[in-house]
Amino acid sequence: MNSGITIINGRTQITGSGDSVRIDLPAGESLDLCLMQEPGGKDFEINLSEGAELGMTLICIGCPEAVNRMRINLNGPHSRVSLNGLYLLRGEARLENHIVLSHNCPECRSSQLFKGILEDKATAVFDALIKVVPGAQKTEAFQRNDNLLLSPQARVHSEPQLEIYADDVKCSHGATNGVLNEDELFYMRSRGISLAQARILQQLSFVGEVIEAIPSEQIRQEILSILEQYLRRQ
Amino acid sequence: MLSIRNLHASVGDKEILKGINIDVHPGEVHAIMGPNGAGKSTLSAVLAGRESYKVTEGEVLFEGRNLLEMSPEERSWAGIFLGFQYPIEVPGVSNVNFMKAALAEHRAHKGLEPLGSAAFLKLMREKMALVEMDASFSSRGVNVGFSGGEKKRNEIFQMAMLEPKLAILDETDSGLDVDALRIVGNGVTKLKNPGSATIVITHYQRLLDYIVPDVIHILYKGRIVKTAGRELALEIERNGYEGLAE
Ligand SMILES: Nc1ncnc2c1ncn2[C@@H]1O[C@H](COP(=O)(O)OP(=O)(O)OP(=O)(O)O)[C@@H](O)[C@H]1O
Ligand SMILES: [Mg+2]
Repeated sequence: MNSGITIINGRTQITGSGDSVRIDLPAGESLDLCLMQEPGGKDFEINLSEGAELGMTLICIGCPEAVNRMRINLNGPHSRVSLNGLYLLRGEARLENHIVLSHNCPECRSSQLFKGILEDKATAVFDALIKVVPGAQKTEAFQRNDNLLLSPQARVHSEPQLEIYADDVKCSHGATNGVLNEDELFYMRSRGISLAQARILQQLSFVGEVIEAIPSEQIRQEILSILEQYLRRQ
Repeated sequence: MLSIRNLHASVGDKEILKGINIDVHPGEVHAIMGPNGAGKSTLSAVLAGRESYKVTEGEVLFEGRNLLEMSPEERSWAGIFLGFQYPIEVPGVSNVNFMKAALAEHRAHKGLEPLGSAAFLKLMREKMALVEMDASFSSRGVNVGFSGGEKKRNEIFQMAMLEPKLAILDETDSGLDVDALRIVGNGVTKLKNPGSATIVITHYQRLLDYIVPDVIHILYKGRIVKTAGRELALEIERNGYEGLAE
């Protein structure tokens, strides 16, 4: 069994060894996973057959150095992937996610949402390619990477990429880098919420979308409590 | 209670407040009127501690303390409340969590434990009822997607929760329909007590029918050019600010 991976729903075997993970989702099967990032990182190869559904969330709260490589193949029609990520990095931490997601047949859906908060001299790499092969019509693919940069030395290399060889597809991708919102901070402070707490509330709100999408109340609560502890040390 | 002495403030190198003097005592209601761009919101922002405005001269004492040295949250804990002309939306933070966080910090500064869940929710319901706000607003993001009038009611709801000593209400009447105006006006009046004071910034007499001022100041191009009793509001409604500048 691979460490750091929690199966939320599903009975598909996760194979592979050490830092490599392989998942073959048979037709019609669904699987929801949550991965707590460990130092070093993991290589994933994930194949989905017809009608299979994968939900996966990568969580990295204060991990020093990791590189993840993911190959996800939508090999059967009507298969779906929702791949989300949340990373909070400080100090000299560096996290790289290299993702190749291939729509190899028609009528599949994929979405990727990665959100990061970086402090100090932390670095995040989001290098994600969506491929839509010829003939993969009615593909829907969505990809976004949003980052909050809390220090001028924090770095994000965000490269969402599309390679589309079919014409009847709906694809969107984008990346944003932002800072904390001064108006909101002032508003909260004017109500007596201290600056430190106002910053925490704003960061929790920023990552909320990723956490809310995890289909397990227990895991959501666990992550929130790790997150709050982490943010209180800012 | 509040003593503003020769207050000058700028944004960048543009001077907006050019020597303001106002004294507010417990129990008093002051109205500040004046044309667009006169500096009314700037004054309220400076009093609330907005850092983008630089105070270049003068002083502000609140209950004997140097207000200008205090952070925005310290001012709130000390009992100052600003009702924003344009309330800010805080997506992802629900009204209930927002107020819970604010109230907990207020109580901590009085040496009190946070209210228990049941007591807190009861207090919220009571105060929302005061401004006739529907309970469904509790779980919505602070001001997110609220109509103009709903945002203003939410300001007064927050004020009711925090029970400030000095409330500065910046155009709380703008965007309110007649019923909401009555609700908000009466709400503010119910919240008053002999130890508290209110500064109402407004363009219109109608709010002052509910929140009756002891004095009215006219702020014009960064200066208080006239201070008088409540009859001044009617005069301005008739004649505008023409002739007041001299
Ligand atoms: N951040 C800022 N940057 C530049 N100018 C500013 C800034 N804030 C205020 N000002 C200017 O200062 C002047 C006073 O603005 P303020 O908002 O205080 O006016 P006001 O009296 O509240 O007007 P209104 O009745 O329209 O609300 C205006 O000319 C405005 O453009
Ligand atoms: Mg104004």
